[in-house]
Amino acid sequence: MNLKSIGDAWQSGMAKNITFIVTKDCQLACKYCYLVGKNVKERMSWDTAKAFIDYVLAREDDFREESVVWDFIGGEPFLEIELIDRICDYLKLRMFELGHHWFDSYRFSFSTNGINYHTPEVQRFIEKNREHLSIGITIDGTERKHDLNRVWKQATPDENGIIHPSDRGSYKDVVKNIPLWLKQFPDAGTKVTISSPDIPYIRESVMHLYGLGIHQVNINVVFEDVWQEGDDARFEEQLMLLADEIIDGGWYQDYACSFFSEHIGKPLDPVRDNQNWCGAGRMLSVDAAGNLYPCTRFAQYSLRSKKALVIGNIRDGINPNLLRPFLTLDRTTQSPQKCLDCEVASGCAWCQGENYDAAQTNTVYQRATAICLMHKARVRANNYYWNKLYRKLELEGRREEFERNKRSVEHQTC
Amino acid sequence: MMQYLVILLDDTSVAYCHCDNPHRERRLMPPETLRDGIRYAMTHNLMIQFVYPDYDLPQDYLDAIDTIDHHDIVPFPRQGDVAVAENSKLKIENSAGAVVVLRMKKAELFVSGDTVAALLRQVQRLNIVITDLDTFTDADLVPYGALLDRWAALLKEEYLAGRTPQLNLLTDRMMLTAPNHCNAGVENLTLAPNGRFYLCPAFYYTASEESVDPEDIPNQQLLRLDHAPLCRRCDAYHCRRCVWLNQRTTLDANTPSHEQCAVAHTERNASRRLLAAIREKAQFMPEVDIKEINYIDPFDIRKDF
Ligand code: SF4
Ligand code: SF4
Repeated sequence: MNLKSIGDAWQSGMAKNITFIVTKDCQLACKYCYLVGKNVKERMSWDTAKAFIDYVLAREDDFREESVVWDFIGGEPFLEIELIDRICDYLKLRMFELGHHWFDSYRFSFSTNGINYHTPEVQRFIEKNREHLSIGITIDGTERKHDLNRVWKQATPDENGIIHPSDRGSYKDVVKNIPLWLKQFPDAGTKVTISSPDIPYIRESVMHLYGLGIHQVNINVVFEDVWQEGDDARFEEQLMLLADEIIDGGWYQDYACSFFSEHIGKPLDPVRDNQNWCGAGRMLSVDAAGNLYPCTRFAQYSLRSKKALVIGNIRDGINPNLLRPFLTLDRTTQSPQKCLDCEVASGCAWCQGENYDAAQTNTVYQRATAICLMHKARVRANNYYWNKLYRKLELEGRREEFERNKRSVEHQTC
Repeated sequence: MMQYLVILLDDTSVAYCHCDNPHRERRLMPPETLRDGIRYAMTHNLMIQFVYPDYDLPQDYLDAIDTIDHHDIVPFPRQGDVAVAENSKLKIENSAGAVVVLRMKKAELFVSGDTVAALLRQVQRLNIVITDLDTFTDADLVPYGALLDRWAALLKEEYLAGRTPQLNLLTDRMMLTAPNHCNAGVENLTLAPNGRFYLCPAFYYTASEESVDPEDIPNQQLLRLDHAPLCRRCDAYHCRRCVWLNQRTTLDANTPSHEQCAVAHTERNASRRLLAAIREKAQFMPEVDIKEINYIDPFDIRKDF
């Protein structure tokens, strides 16, 4: 989970996201995982991490954002807790020694499967960096929903080092760490990803996560072209059931689910609403080989059909020409006509990495619209949700009170 | 709308644009491919530009070529509508009244002041094509601007004397009120000796596996000006907006490199100075207005768009 998603207004939008892909290994082999090339071979060395940090911190003028989020992802980042601890110590030391403006405004952010959360090494790290930390644990919902996808990997990788799934679910190994996590980060949210087989479990899963004490459920459908005929109707049905349960049970007051947002489902103005959706190109990622990417989704292990889009490396730096397409991206140029004419376009997201991977040519300018019917279904259910909720609040005379206190839900794409 | 078909008659047909032709072995386009190409152009109302190798073609080829209205692009010193010269092979005395494309690397460009000046007194039109545009640094732009000013001084004298030689780097922008880009894949396509279509010869030279179906060019909209976020707001109208260079330098066909923009803006600004200098002495092209700007790369002002 990244910082934007935890309802924390901390320097929102003004932070640079810098991601260390510390390992491509993971204990799990989730079936929907977009990381098609996960393997046990590519672990970041200390020398690579240090060279990258030195490169970034030496260029304060090129990285003017007020704040920085140092992101650690994998695979499973906590498999490399020793390296991460060393990286974070070095970052703090160097930002201080250099008088870097980020020393006053930095975060370390983690997206973890939660399995190692309780271990002494991870706990020591949390204790040491508590004030500057955000950690998201991914749990997909009920045990049967979670275990549908989030399974342990087979004990041994294949001859190419590629990891394959086993039959053993990971729910029990994760859920035991949720109380400790929520004690340490009471406002934390979790991220849920929905693919075609997950649709029947959406309602029960969100309610289950609320029941575990997680107040913020960030949930989105995958951008890949995985959808089957009828999925949109099934999806709408699940969201309506979820809407009923949230509203009838009064959960809407203290809990939030990102599927329901008042800002989605409206037409967009071609001039005023022309921004790109995601931050690719404004972020920076580094992998074990020292290659730099506009976002982790452009690393080879995330791509099905295209070559990695490497924008530089820690020795030669960033090639600024390769950032130009990203930094000039807008909504209308990359969207097909149906999206420009769409009556419910707001909130319909895209991922630049998936756009690139699915495009007919080598470009980041062809928007993939595999989620089209799913977004429209979401909009219908979302309209139902707000109509029902506001009617109820009005009848109870509590609408104003609700408006004053409601949790903000920000969009999140990846 | 498609308007032109470029037909490369041989694998060694002369390179006339940014990309060198790497082919050294002759491979003449098969006669039936030539016939099909001509037929395609006729049925689609396309003007053909034949690109010739440096040897005489068989008579039946010349006969076939003669069956359609066309332009010839030939290697210098052969005779054609456009003669293409590499700097080292150019003989100035052979260029009187011609339309000449002069291909040069940056290093040659910077020592070509006299050659180009002499050519400008002879030719009807000179197109200078820099073949390693991507190696320009910002420091190179200062001497490049000075070189353009030197040629501009000569052009000014010629224009005031009633002669109008054209130099693409300086006079095109002075004459244009709208973009005049290459538009490969939108207004023109290339037929290679292998019988396949390409966006332009450079794609054939460097990525021969990337041929296109002329009836269904993938992401063709990204080759159009309205889908090029920087170029559609740019007034360096003479710029080629080379989509091949774009693809090579930024990995996206609709986005130019800093170097392409900075070089084109150095030319644009030199054209502006030339226009002002001519206007000091005479009324000239009143409909053209080249504004003073404080950037050399539209990317640097993208926030203002
Ligand atoms: S993908 Fe579909 S729902 Fe989304 S903006 Fe385009 S047309 Fe609208
Ligand atoms: S100068 Fe740059 S922005 Fe302008 S047309 Fe040429 S390539 Fe495009």
